[in-house]
Amino acid sequence: MITYLIRRLFWLVPVLVGVTFLVFLTMYLAPGDPVKIMLGPRANAETLERVRAELGLDRPLPVQYFSWISRVMTGDWGRSIQLRRQVFPIVTSRFQSTALLGFSALLLASLGGIGAGIAAVFKRQTGWDSLFTFLAIVGFSIPVFWLGLILQLVFGVRLGWLPTSGMVSSVGGGGVGDMLVHLILPVLALSTEPLALIARMTRSSMLEVIQEDYIKAARSKGLTETMVLLKHALRNAFVPILTVIGMQLGFVFAGSVFVEAIFSWPGIGNLIVNGILARDFPIVQGSILLIALSYVLINLIVDMSYAYVNPSLRYD
Amino acid sequence: MRTTWAVVFCTLILASGLVGNCLAVGTLVVALEAEPTSLDPHQLTDYNSVRAAAALFETLTQFKPGTTEIMPGLAESWALSDDGLTYTFHLREGVFFHDGTTFTADDVKFNFERQTDPNHPYYNTGVFGYADFTLGMIDTIDVVDDYTLVLHLKYTFAPFLRNMAMIAAAMISPESLEEYGADIVVHPVGTGPFQFREWQPGIKLVLDRNLTYWGEPATLDTLIFRPIINPQSRLAALETGEVDFMVNPPPEDIERLRNDPNFDVVAKLGQHTWWIVLNCQVPPFDNKLVRQAVHYAVDKKAIVDGILRNTGEVAVNPLPTNVWSYTEDVKIYDYNPQKARDLLAQAGYPNGFEVEFWVPQTGSGMQQPVEMAIAIQAYLAAVGVTANIQTWEWGTYLDKVFGPPAGELPAMHEMSWIMDNGDPDNFLYILLSGEQWPLNGFNESFYKNEEVDRLLREARVELDADKRLPLYEEAQKLICEDSPWIWVDHAYETFVVRAGIQGFVFQPTQGILRFERVTLK
Repeated sequence: MITYLIRRLFWLVPVLVGVTFLVFLTMYLAPGDPVKIMLGPRANAETLERVRAELGLDRPLPVQYFSWISRVMTGDWGRSIQLRRQVFPIVTSRFQSTALLGFSALLLASLGGIGAGIAAVFKRQTGWDSLFTFLAIVGFSIPVFWLGLILQLVFGVRLGWLPTSGMVSSVGGGGVGDMLVHLILPVLALSTEPLALIARMTRSSMLEVIQEDYIKAARSKGLTETMVLLKHALRNAFVPILTVIGMQLGFVFAGSVFVEAIFSWPGIGNLIVNGILARDFPIVQGSILLIALSYVLINLIVDMSYAYVNPSLRYD
Repeated sequence: MRTTWAVVFCTLILASGLVGNCLAVGTLVVALEAEPTSLDPHQLTDYNSVRAAAALFETLTQFKPGTTEIMPGLAESWALSDDGLTYTFHLREGVFFHDGTTFTADDVKFNFERQTDPNHPYYNTGVFGYADFTLGMIDTIDVVDDYTLVLHLKYTFAPFLRNMAMIAAAMISPESLEEYGADIVVHPVGTGPFQFREWQPGIKLVLDRNLTYWGEPATLDTLIFRPIINPQSRLAALETGEVDFMVNPPPEDIERLRNDPNFDVVAKLGQHTWWIVLNCQVPPFDNKLVRQAVHYAVDKKAIVDGILRNTGEVAVNPLPTNVWSYTEDVKIYDYNPQKARDLLAQAGYPNGFEVEFWVPQTGSGMQQPVEMAIAIQAYLAAVGVTANIQTWEWGTYLDKVFGPPAGELPAMHEMSWIMDNGDPDNFLYILLSGEQWPLNGFNESFYKNEEVDRLLREARVELDADKRLPLYEEAQKLICEDSPWIWVDHAYETFVVRAGIQGFVFQPTQGILRFERVTLK
């Protein structure tokens, strides 16, 4: 187990270098000049040249990349081209907001999805099952930005129950309660699609498991259906569900770009979009590095937890 | 003990945020289109940053509210030498920066040289895209005493006092720069009616009334800026009372909001022009008749009504209607497709021609670039001209169109400009003088008319407004005759405010909004 963990952590390094290099290459190959965008049309050619040299953007690509990565190793994430500020505090604070949104959505999606999946199995082959299936299909077919706008309009503007934007109230605000209230609509919008997917996966995985002989044995022992499903079937059906949950993390980060834009959530999605538009290499690189790191680590945790769920899966 | 419980209770209520707007006495919340990038006035190139910074910083001269006329700011008075090259500014006494330091003539020298002198110790604390443009005509700066400053210019420059009112000429506390260095961008210390309290990135920027302000203090206790990118979300936040003031509502909602007693819609004409650049150095637009023909072919009014939903007004001249010296005594291109066909035939293109037409997908001041391009493409097709649209992402577009020589640019591309200093020079000379071809300047159509160049050059060094006026009027006539662009419209800036909020001022230059006289009901 420990060797496996060390090996996985070791492989983290090439993965992160690969991801950041690809992003760097894409940004470099994309047309558009960060300095022209930053300084605007009023700047003269001389100023453009000087600033380009100051920022090191006149150096060859490999030099720029290695200078960036070696500085990152020493904890210096550079200064944003557009915002003229240290990158590290910006990306970490934005990442925290996205993580709060993303993990809340994933938690809701997992609990809701597994619950709905189990409910569908209990009521299998009935009208309820069809209704759950129908809702799940609707759920993962709805575009997240559309759902976000509708939620905002209905619960914010029409009913006036919940705030429509931001992470805290404009005036005062900032407490835990205030933040939770602001979290509700964005989390609902972001969790709908993964919830539907997890529900579908739970249902099909459990339906497969209950065909097994040991389930028949459990039933013939006289166990109640609840006992059979929750104690015997669910645990064995859990591995594929866990895989789907791990993979949904990627969706949650991608979907948060839309949700953040609609609900003015101060997350990293927005930061990356602006960074790309402004060709702000240090911001984009820093953000991607952080996201890639978290994605890899979360999936490692998911992989490790297989062993807990199913002891027959051992790592050596 | 009882007090303690009361404190705990109040803290809990505040922390829960449930009372939110109950605290909003004397507080105005403004929804901007995006977060300011920086609050260093010397480094700003976007509307949202300028709008926030304008509340914090001041300049030697300033614009009379809502106009482009100059009045005293941090300088109480000034005098100009007979040769027009030396300005003596008498500074206001008793002005303090928000950090408590006194504002003196040394600070002006510091602020200007920080941007223009590579040997200045704080030159490396930023990048100054506007420095040369705003301050480039200053040769040397002499500090006579604490409150007297002499600026020697390299050449006479008529709009100089207007440049001194631009945000890039604003005064930062030198001590704050010493303290924060390059991080000054998030630690703004100026002399303005509001002072910085906190900036929660992506969430809000909070400013408080400056209690030691030299002039009449601001009416508001607190001014809060919030970035809300999506226009529908911005409107939702206004409708739910989360914000009091929004910029740029969705055009399709403006009519409804006008009829809603809870809100006031305010539309003000900025100093902006949207146009199609015609490449004057390359066939077919090297021929004046062809340029006139395509200008007649476009129905600007239909574009303003149908696509822009009247968020602009039809342009009859490259100069915005509210800029001094504007005249309509010029050749006017009313929609006339028959005349366009006749001119094309006369120019030797009876069957039209085919050209490239570059269009950005979005962009500052570009309004609805793609929809407008498609309409113009159809109008041109109706007179036999095939314009092949190619769209670009804004960053790529800027790179593509600024810099290359005329031969590498397409026959047509879109552009817009927003006034910097309120002087006609900022449009006519910068955008249309033959001396301002890229990379010297911004004459993107590579238009050159010797007579226009002479008039514009004379007008920018002539200090007597009465003598400048006929020069600009004559230049406008010649430019309109030559039609180097298809000027389409001048945009309105639209704001929606909660009913009862009064006293905010829109400055037509640099999109600045002023909130210090705002009253709430």
